[in-house]
Amino acid sequence: MSQEPKPSATPSRLDPELTARRDFLGTAATTLACGTCGFALLGSARLPKVAVLPSASKKFKVVLPPSLLPGQPFVPPGRSVAIFKDGDSVHAISTICTHLGCVVKPVESGFDCPCHGSRFAANGDVVRGPAPKALAWLSVSSAGGGAVLVDEGKVVPAGTKVSV
Amino acid sequence: MSGLPTETDGGPALGRFADNLKRIPRRFLETMFRGGRPDSDRGRSNFVFQNVFLHLHSVRTHRWSLKWSTTWGLGMITLGSFLVTVVTGVLLMFYYKPYPDVAYQSIKDIHFVVPTGHFLRNIHRWAANIMVVGVLLHMARVFFTASYRKPREFNWVIGMLLLPVTLGLSFTGYLLPWDQLAYWAITIGANIAQSPREVTDALGITQQFDPGGLQKLILLGSDEVGEEALIRFYLLHVLILPLVLCFLVAVHFWRVRKDGGLARPADVDVRLPPPERRTFPVFTEAPAKTYSLAAVVKSRTPAVGNPPENTVPSMPHLFYAEAAVFMLTIFLCVLLSLFIDAPLKEIANPLVPENPAKAPWYFLGLQELVAHSAFMGGIGIPMITLLGLALIPYLDREKAGTGLWFGGSGGGRLVAMSAAYGLAAVLVVEAVAIRFGWLQQWWPGCPQLLIILLNPGTVLTVLYGIWSVWVVKRFDSTRAGALGLFACFMAGFIVLTVVGTWFRGPNWEFYWSPSQWPGH
Amino acid sequence: MQANKHLLLWSSAGSLVVLVWAALTETIFAEWRQSQVHVAENLAGQPLDIQLRQIVVKELDATDRCISCHVGMAPGETGLPHDPVYGRHPAVVHEASEMGCTACHGGQGRATTRDDAHGNVAHWPEPMIPPRYFYAGCGSCHTHLEVPSQSSLEVGRRLFEQYDCLACHRIDGRGGTLRPGGAGGGEGPDISRIGTRGVPADWYDVHLRNRQLAAAGQPVGGLPWQVCFGEIPADHRGAIDAYLQSRIGAPGLLEAKALFHSLGCRGCHKENGVGGDDGPDLSFVGTKDPGQTDFRGVRGEKTVANWLAEHFRDPARVVPGSQMPALGLTEPQIELLTLYMLSLRRTAAPEALWPRDRVRALRLGGREFARDGATLYGTFCAACHGPAGEGRRYDPAAAPFPAIGNPDFLAVASDEFLVDTVTHGRPGRRMPAWGEKEGGLRPDEIREVVAFLRTLGGVRQEPDPKPRRWAKGDVAAGQRLFAASCASCHGPEGRGGEGLALRNPALLASATDTYLFETIRRGRRGTTMVAFGTGSPTQRALSPQEIEDLVTFLRTWEGKP
Repeated sequence: MSQEPKPSATPSRLDPELTARRDFLGTAATTLACGTCGFALLGSARLPKVAVLPSASKKFKVVLPPSLLPGQPFVPPGRSVAIFKDGDSVHAISTICTHLGCVVKPVESGFDCPCHGSRFAANGDVVRGPAPKALAWLSVSSAGGGAVLVDEGKVVPAGTKVSV
Repeated sequence: MSGLPTETDGGPALGRFADNLKRIPRRFLETMFRGGRPDSDRGRSNFVFQNVFLHLHSVRTHRWSLKWSTTWGLGMITLGSFLVTVVTGVLLMFYYKPYPDVAYQSIKDIHFVVPTGHFLRNIHRWAANIMVVGVLLHMARVFFTASYRKPREFNWVIGMLLLPVTLGLSFTGYLLPWDQLAYWAITIGANIAQSPREVTDALGITQQFDPGGLQKLILLGSDEVGEEALIRFYLLHVLILPLVLCFLVAVHFWRVRKDGGLARPADVDVRLPPPERRTFPVFTEAPAKTYSLAAVVKSRTPAVGNPPENTVPSMPHLFYAEAAVFMLTIFLCVLLSLFIDAPLKEIANPLVPENPAKAPWYFLGLQELVAHSAFMGGIGIPMITLLGLALIPYLDREKAGTGLWFGGSGGGRLVAMSAAYGLAAVLVVEAVAIRFGWLQQWWPGCPQLLIILLNPGTVLTVLYGIWSVWVVKRFDSTRAGALGLFACFMAGFIVLTVVGTWFRGPNWEFYWSPSQWPGH
Repeated sequence: MQANKHLLLWSSAGSLVVLVWAALTETIFAEWRQSQVHVAENLAGQPLDIQLRQIVVKELDATDRCISCHVGMAPGETGLPHDPVYGRHPAVVHEASEMGCTACHGGQGRATTRDDAHGNVAHWPEPMIPPRYFYAGCGSCHTHLEVPSQSSLEVGRRLFEQYDCLACHRIDGRGGTLRPGGAGGGEGPDISRIGTRGVPADWYDVHLRNRQLAAAGQPVGGLPWQVCFGEIPADHRGAIDAYLQSRIGAPGLLEAKALFHSLGCRGCHKENGVGGDDGPDLSFVGTKDPGQTDFRGVRGEKTVANWLAEHFRDPARVVPGSQMPALGLTEPQIELLTLYMLSLRRTAAPEALWPRDRVRALRLGGREFARDGATLYGTFCAACHGPAGEGRRYDPAAAPFPAIGNPDFLAVASDEFLVDTVTHGRPGRRMPAWGEKEGGLRPDEIREVVAFLRTLGGVRQEPDPKPRRWAKGDVAAGQRLFAASCASCHGPEGRGGEGLALRNPALLASATDTYLFETIRRGRRGTTMVAFGTGSPTQRALSPQEIEDLVTFLRTWEGKP
């Protein structure tokens, strides 16, 4: 860098203004313009967030096969939920892995996730692997006529069994 | 007629009109390229200066910048492959239909009946991969030659923005074929976006504050990967991210010019061998003129005042170099495309996950970490790494070794040592995790927060941090610390990526080779 | 700069070579183009436009480019005559140019290379139906083809041949042959597809009338058959009618389906919502994804067809742990069953496109199987209870399937008890519920089965004047007796072992006290259940009071499974 030029009597147009004059009008106009644009941006930023979920209804009715044994999972076709029936008491466990959303597979000991090797017990508890929490228990209610109504969107505390 | 002015110089108006008509081609060219045919050095300089596409270049280029070993052409490879993806991508858009299932069929059509479609899709895929490799190597080059230093700090930061945009472009393209590969990679990706929930859940505040859920919702436009997600990824892939990329690239290039071209060592003129005999002319005197923009900018431009200059005209020297690398990129793309097809698996099936479900290769290192903690592997460590990288120019303020690979002699050994350490660390941590498992297996029911804090990824990060601090103290140099850290991270990235790519099978179990995978 | 110039030159040259090569492979060397060039060169006369061709069927979501190579099958093309690959499509029920190719043959219509189109590629799990099973393709739409029982089909076929109908008529590629001495042949129409139009009700009368006219010297054609046509009894005509009604242009498939029903597969497997649930639902087994199939136990080629055939040979080898018994099938039977399994490939076609059989079954309450008791028993019961109700035991470690044709059983079991048992099954046991919501059988069909069961035992139920519940014995005494005499077979807790599980809510709910009492008293001849009322060398006779005690004790399990 070169030397600072010495202050001279006649100010060069290259010298910075020593004291900025108050420019109320300019400041107000600029601020308002920025503010308005910011507000417009903020408003339009709301657009990508959907207000209602476009996915298909998460509630469905299903008739459990009469030969379902206690402890044996029943996965209705096209759904990711395993329904268990023990006598009269019914419960449903989501088969969506709590780690990264893969579909877990019911096996003898509970559930296995194919993506990152999480394993869950039959009651949904994590046995091993990266899953941060147990598989969700889902709301089940009796729909009459031997059918049950499952709501995949509604999580209930683990251990909630319903008698139908 | 009497009221109109008349010109009589060139004879009758009709004759002049005919003459004008005849000269249209020549005049058209003259107006397009002012300054005549670029057949002299001055003419060529003028040509570069006047041309909107070429004026991004300086009129003269330093001979150091033209040395192959200075850049290995990596920036140009990246740009070239980007241009290839743009051209092929736009062409593919003629036939691609962004709607579930139809998308898959349209890819099959592109493969089987669209003229050149099969080849173009392969090129698009390969160019995208080359671009990712190019970006990573370009970053490594800039780092190892310490080219991020003053005055190029901010351009390095722009580069750090370009890296995730490039990866994002590639990743959003991954969903578009709507095959199993795509569907499950995006499901995993979207759930990684949701993984801050792991932390908020552990803290018990998800009800009030759920940034993870919001991210996933905005990314997918739904709670599952479906038509909304596809159209969003399509929009990101063909419009938003390319626009952002072009904008950032423009700034990136502009800064290269404004920061005085490529970084060079201080004693560059000693280091450069004498020019080839055919290289002529070589400018050696410093430009004397100080130009101050609009007469209000006070300092002199950085290019000025570093005598002797040792530059050659950009046209043709630089342009040959650029064209050569560009054509090399194209050659790589078409050659790979001829022999290796872009993958297309079964049509997406939301009920049956791919097993193993693998992300694109450049994310497999992260997926390896994700297999322990989704948040740390997918968001925490990448953010820490990016932030750490972006801050490097502000932490390393030394001057020695700028523009030289590994900062001159001795640096190479340090980098090799650090890479060895990084390799050893990552191998040991991986071996432990694969052989003995991790916290969850040793202590079932261990609090999730502890797993988030203490997993192979964080352990590695800390190990690398310790090494870097030790190097800083041992060599009494922040640059040495940065070199060590970067080498460690590169070793870690490569090993994790290799393990994720070749040694992970169904259920993300470790296998020595895919031949050992159990059948379905 | 020299180095850069070299790099530019050589990479440009390299790129150009690659591009030219790619252009050549895509255009001149493309498989479909080579095929069409081959056809064009061998075509006499008319020229052939060399171009990609396709049949688009919007309703079926089909884009079939098969005709780009099989160019003779394209609408308006002749191709090479009699060439299986480049010739015309044989005349079939459906017009290929309207239906497309994949609707029947499977495979990948969008592909334009042989391997991809025929489906022998990874990650495209829709291989073509192998040529020898091609009738399986009918199953994509014709999901509910009606078949008579296998025995009646066989009878009809035999009679058809016995009456020498084949002398004039062609059917399924046979018959209508020239007779020695130039006596003609093939005078009658080909009736291989007569079932699609319906068998004319008056065919017999027409034939007879023609014979009389011919005998009277009337000019009705003067063909030999008109003279030699003989009389056919009415019951034979019925069997022939049923046989002809099943001739719809897919003979192999009909035979296969009849065989499937005769083997009782539906006792364990559901198909189209009707069947047991002991084994997997078979409704979509024909679309099994080869990529998701475990071929480790399969010998020979790794195709779904071979997987199925191998599975029929030895289920447990192909599917480890399978409960399905090895049925000891012959190779022709395995071939037919494999064909039938491949035909279970129902597509979700819009209702407007459903063929008659599908509408009839799904909307008008029709059935795809014959509804007489014998066929129903064979279809749903025989696999476990034996063709004559003699009971079966596939797994030596498990309880046997009861002998329900046993006269001792049928003598004490009321029709209500039987209907109730069939309708509700034995929850928790392998006997499924066959009611409409579960197994899919209708009440009248279940009554048919029960009526047939009666004919197996040859006995009616003895009249039982007593109320359903009358036993008032001593529970403690009954418990002691059970432990001493019954537990060794029926298990200490009554959960079964060698004998049946008695602690079964459905059994105890539907059985009357008389049923239990008489069963214990008389035993079941021919099974290990001895007659406790008369005793045996190893078992002293029980008094009626003791048996009543036992019944009373069994009742204590009611409601406590």
